[in-house]
Order: sequence, then C-alpha cells, then structure tokens
Amino acid sequence: MFNYTFQWRQALQKLPLLLDGALVTLQIALMSMAMGIVFAVILAVARNSRSTLVSAPATAWVEVSRNTPALFQIYMAHFGLGSFGIHLSPYIALLAGITFNNAGYLAETFRGALRAIPGTQLRAARSLGMPSLQAFRLVIMPQMFRIAFLPTTNQMVWAILMTSLGVTVGMNSDLAGVTQDINVRSFRTFEIFAIAAVIYYLIAKAVTLGARLMAARLFRY
Amino acid sequence: MKTSIILGSLLAATCLGTAASADKLDDIMASGTLRCAVVLDFPPMGSRDADNNPIGFDVDYCNDLAKALGVTAEIVETPFPDRIPALVSGRVDVGVASTSDTLERAKTVGFTIPYFAFTNVVLTREGAGIEKFEDMNGKTVGSVSGTFEGIALEENVKGWGAGEFRPYQSQADVFLALSQGQIDATVVTSTVASSIVESGQYEGLVIKGDAPYPVDYVGLIALRQEYGMLNYLDLFINQQVRSGRYQELYDKWVGGAAPKLTIDNVYR
Repeated sequence: MFNYTFQWRQALQKLPLLLDGALVTLQIALMSMAMGIVFAVILAVARNSRSTLVSAPATAWVEVSRNTPALFQIYMAHFGLGSFGIHLSPYIALLAGITFNNAGYLAETFRGALRAIPGTQLRAARSLGMPSLQAFRLVIMPQMFRIAFLPTTNQMVWAILMTSLGVTVGMNSDLAGVTQDINVRSFRTFEIFAIAAVIYYLIAKAVTLGARLMAARLFRY
Repeated sequence: MKTSIILGSLLAATCLGTAASADKLDDIMASGTLRCAVVLDFPPMGSRDADNNPIGFDVDYCNDLAKALGVTAEIVETPFPDRIPALVSGRVDVGVASTSDTLERAKTVGFTIPYFAFTNVVLTREGAGIEKFEDMNGKTVGSVSGTFEGIALEENVKGWGAGEFRPYQSQADVFLALSQGQIDATVVTSTVASSIVESGQYEGLVIKGDAPYPVDYVGLIALRQEYGMLNYLDLFINQQVRSGRYQELYDKWVGGAAPKLTIDNVYR
C-alpha cells in the first residue's frame, strides 16, 4: 500500500499559483460556454431545417462532438490542424475544442427544449401578427432557455472539468497545467493533485449553486 | 507442555516480526520479480522495437540489475510525469528512467549516485531561423514537461521576457509539434536528438549546437526510506562502471566514450 509521508505544508505553499490557474480555467470555461450557447442555438435551429444543405452540416457537427472523446477533439484542434499548417496556440486549441464540444451537446439540449414547447405557442404568436423571427425571439426562445437552463449548467460544470485536458496540448496556465508543472518539479503528486481536486470541486459546486439561485430569481411565476 | 506453547508463540511472534520488517530488497528477492519504471519514448534510453518489445539502455540496465538480484525483470512503461506516482503507489520497485537528481525532487524520492549523464543540444527545424541557442530568444519553444532541460528552458524564456514556452506530456508530442511548426525549437539531450534525427521519422529536424546547461546527471530512484535498496543500487552502479559494462552498454546504444559520472572536488 502507500509507502509515503504526506507533506501538506510544502504543497500548500503553491496555493496562490494554483488559484491563478483556477482563474484561467474559469475564464476558458465561461468563454467556451458563451460561444457554445450561440453556436448551439444556430445548430438546434439548423437541425430542424427542412433544407438538407442547412441541416446536414449541423447534424455532422452534433454527431462528431457528441460521439468522440473531448480529448480527441482538443488534440485534433492542436496537432490535427497543425499538420495542415494551421497553428492554434494551446489556449486557443483548448478553447476551440471545448466550444465545439459544448455546442454539440447544448444543441441537443436546446432541440429537446424546442420540442417541449407546444406548437400552438408559435401559431398563437403568429396569429397576433408577429413575423416568424420575432415570434421565435420573443415567445419561443425565452421558453426554450427556461427549459434548458439547468441542463445548461450541467454542461458548464462539464466545461470546467474538460479544461483539464489542455495539458495534452502544452497548456500550462490553467489549473491542470499549473498542477502538472508543480508536480513534475517537486514530485509531490498526491498532495498537489488533492488540492487541485478540491479547487475543481469548489468551482463546480459554486457554479451549480449559483445557477440554482439564478434560476429561482429568473424563473418565478 | 506449557513451555512448548510459550516457545511456539515466541517463535510465531519472531516470524511475524521478521516478516513485518522485511524491506523492499527482501520483498523483491522473495517475489522473484523486479519491476522497473522505464520511459519508452526516449530513445536510445528506452523505446520499442519493430515487434513492440521494450529496448534501450535503461531496459538493458534493468535486466542487468535483475540478474544481479537473481530475479526476473519486468519493464513497466512509465511516461516522464508518472514516474513518482508509479513508485509511490507500489506499481514499480525502482525507476530506471533518466531521472535528474534535483534537490527539490530528493525531498520526495530517494536518488542513487548518477548512473548516466546527459548534455543538451538545440534541436530545431530547417528554415526556422535558429542557428544557435541564443537565437531561441523571442521564439515559441517547447519541451517535455518537468524534464531537466524543460525546466531550464522555461526559466530561459522567463528570463528573456519574450517568446513562449510550451510543456508537452511526452517526447513524441514535442517532436510532432516541432516538425509541424507549432514550436520553432526545443532543447533535448544530445543522445535523443541524434537518434531522432538519424531515424528520419520527422523530416527537416536539425541539431544546432549545444545548450549552455550544466551536465544533467541522472540517478535511479527508489522510495526515500528504503536505505537497503538505495545502498544496493549505489553499489550496483559502481560495479557496472568498474566491470566495464557501463561502457559496453554505452557503445551498444550511443557510441563513443561514456560520460564521466564523477564530479571533481567533491564526495558523493
């Protein structure tokens, strides 16, 4: 079993560095979610389109992003595109990979939410004289976001955890990157990883709780 | 009758006592297997042949050690960042994995006397505009996360205040990034550099002079508290050099005069 003495003091000295990393992690997760939501709405609408020219690329995006590992998607954004001479920095590759993944998953969440809204809503809005785009924006979208809100926070947590995959493409400023950097210098693997795990847990928990409070305020009937 | 019970229980207690205080060296000899952590994407120290069998200097070194102990060797492939977790969690008995003996790491694991020494060179791509070490100033460079040369290069980039350093998780990823142009240069041990350039696996890689780093002495690693084990390993390394086996292995995998493993003017 464990033949090891834990040295927490030595590891805790690195806490400021880890917290700086946590900020970068949160930043990437938030940006990837913001962009992911925009792409997801477009994908969800596109998938419902009757034109194959519009729906096929959207379906392909959703299929690939949902059915391949996020690690593969991020690795491809860095090394895959790199072999075609397109060089994304680790930061951008990580952001692009997670955004791609978020968009795919959220598109399905949103599509499900759209189907949960009775068709009569749109028809009622149209019969009041609203143009279809306005009806979508003012009547359908708010209801869609309400239904999809909690599943979306799930994806946010997932996005935070996915940022840890950035180390595979040379990312060294996020929480996982900083953790790995301290680890290889000091070899205090267990202490450093345990502290990083606690930080990930706290961030994820804060996001879930925050989202619940927001939902309680936003969606009061 | 009574005496025999007391004697019997005393004997049992002694046996248990011995079993409990058996150290790592005892455990290895009893189990008949020596498990070595070896990095297998680091030729010529460790790699795989066409049949996927582990080969290299470190692999042979582990086999020699197992032979000396009278046990069979088991090579456990371990990427650079995983060497210590593998050791501490009991997955391996010893690390034969080109581990630089820094004071920071010695707080966590036990190092033997050096069993090998590396010098570092600049490896770059043709047309990247790098002719010597100083030309890397301001460029995007990279190396394997946490290696001696990786840590040194990251400090250089910080000192220059220009350019970017990228740590990758394996040596293979560094070469891939370099050949794709994701990074412009890396600093890598001379043995690895010449073996990868010779292999022609990645096109256009060239060595451009030495990196001005001190000699990178590497030791075998074992658990810090296993003095019996560390003692044995020290003597084993000494014997490898004394018997000429060190030079023999160096000729086989690298060629030329094997690097000196002693430092002038100080004991170890």
